[in-house]
Amino acid sequence: MEDYAVKLKNVSKIYTLKNKDKTKTKIQFYALKDISFKVDKGDTVGILGTNGSGKSTLSLLLSGISDHDGGTLDINGEQALISINTGLNMQLTGEENINVKGALLGLSKKKIQDIKDKVIDFAELGDFLYQPVKKYSSGMKSRLGFSISLALDPDIIIVDEALSVGDKGFAQKCLNHMRKIRDEQNKTIFFISHSLGQVRDFCTTGMWIEGGVLKEFGEINEVCDHYAEYVDMLNAMSEKDKKAYLNDKFKERIITNPPKKGLWDYIFR
Amino acid sequence: MKSVSYVIKENLSNLYRIFCIAKYELLADMRDSKFGVFWNFASPAIQVITYWLVFGIGMQRKGYDGIPYLPWAIVGFAAWWYISPCITSGCSAVFSKQNVITKMKFPISILPATICVKEFFNHLCMMAIAIVMLIIFGYYPNVYWFGLVYYAFCAFMFVEALALVTSVLTMMWRDVKKLVTSLMRMLLYLSPVLWPAAFSSLPAMSFLMKLNPIYYIVTGYRDSIFFNKTPLDHPAMTLYFWIVVIFLFVVGSSLMYHFKRKMVDML
Repeated sequence: MEDYAVKLKNVSKIYTLKNKDKTKTKIQFYALKDISFKVDKGDTVGILGTNGSGKSTLSLLLSGISDHDGGTLDINGEQALISINTGLNMQLTGEENINVKGALLGLSKKKIQDIKDKVIDFAELGDFLYQPVKKYSSGMKSRLGFSISLALDPDIIIVDEALSVGDKGFAQKCLNHMRKIRDEQNKTIFFISHSLGQVRDFCTTGMWIEGGVLKEFGEINEVCDHYAEYVDMLNAMSEKDKKAYLNDKFKERIITNPPKKGLWDYIFR
Repeated sequence: MKSVSYVIKENLSNLYRIFCIAKYELLADMRDSKFGVFWNFASPAIQVITYWLVFGIGMQRKGYDGIPYLPWAIVGFAAWWYISPCITSGCSAVFSKQNVITKMKFPISILPATICVKEFFNHLCMMAIAIVMLIIFGYYPNVYWFGLVYYAFCAFMFVEALALVTSVLTMMWRDVKKLVTSLMRMLLYLSPVLWPAAFSSLPAMSFLMKLNPIYYIVTGYRDSIFFNKTPLDHPAMTLYFWIVVIFLFVVGSSLMYHFKRKMVDML
């Protein structure tokens, strides 16, 4: 049995974007560039970074939804991206939605029955459970969605800002639950959040992604400190400097000499 | 071949998932309206009456092969209204689930099957109406009606294979859906639903209609009900139909297999 959960070596992800001037030419853009790291089982990794730096792209790659374009990506175990509103059907009641989402996630009928009580208990929705989800507030929806996702039993859990909707109390409850399963069952958790407090409190390892490249990977508090400094620095800049700075960053990520495209690529974009 | 076995395996191992998704989508549709399941029966019935008014009364059709027009058309429509919605919504089978496939690891190749299963329920409602009407007209069930089960299976396999192809193509070019939706109107008249595939003035047209796989299904439904024939009475057509279905299925599977992890980036 290997001890690592995830191992990435020089992983890149390229997106094709439309060019600014309305010509037909498209530009290629590094969403992620040469990312290499290794995460052990039972680790909790907090992923930090400003908007558009590639955090969500990384979460898509880690959860196996999207394919990477270069490098090698080894995942040891079953992974699941925790998504809140996905698969909830607005017309159906909360109770029926447990079945819907359970089925979408590929659970068997028996397994869904098994987790149902746990989910109901965890979501704390009361009588709203028997109302159609369209009547729910956004916080209630996220409670239901999150509770169903948590009832799954993946080895690697990826949380992409899923806790930012619910109230503080519920967020804390979820964190405690995740901490419990991590410690008891040696789960690996990737936690993407903009709340530095939560990340510091919850994670053991920090990962800072900036402009599609891995800037820092190490002890959580150190990474958090450096990231906070960076954000402060950005905020301290004048509007004009900031714009120029971010523009430069963006340009760095564009692939200047895209490889010659074959006919196949033209047909399929 | 690898892709075909991949798609078959993924579909078979997710049978419960397919049924559950289809079931709750139907349920959600029904919750939308007050009368729910009533519309599953009422809307096809209203459509049959419309076409009967236009073609049966308005254009004075006397019926074909000794069968009055209304029962003749109902059986054709029963098959058509299974195939047609499957083809149109089959195109967007993957696209309409984009919020799911971008947010969780999901076996994309089962999505066309969920559409076909969901529509199959509507088809059963329609068949119930059709059978009641047929009994009113004096056609009583006999052993040949079991052929319907076979032809319903044919229809299912055909739309499933076609949806596999069109759903992936729609992910590449959204235009495919528009194209298919417009072609459907033409396809109705290229299938022997409203008229038989016998044009004495235009033999080429009759031949063209027989090339259409839907011809096999629609005439199969009628053969089972009115003419006491089994699939074995048309060996050549049966062979041709299954070759088309298998060809579509192989093409669809290889498309699915090659693009299964690229779909997310195509949105």
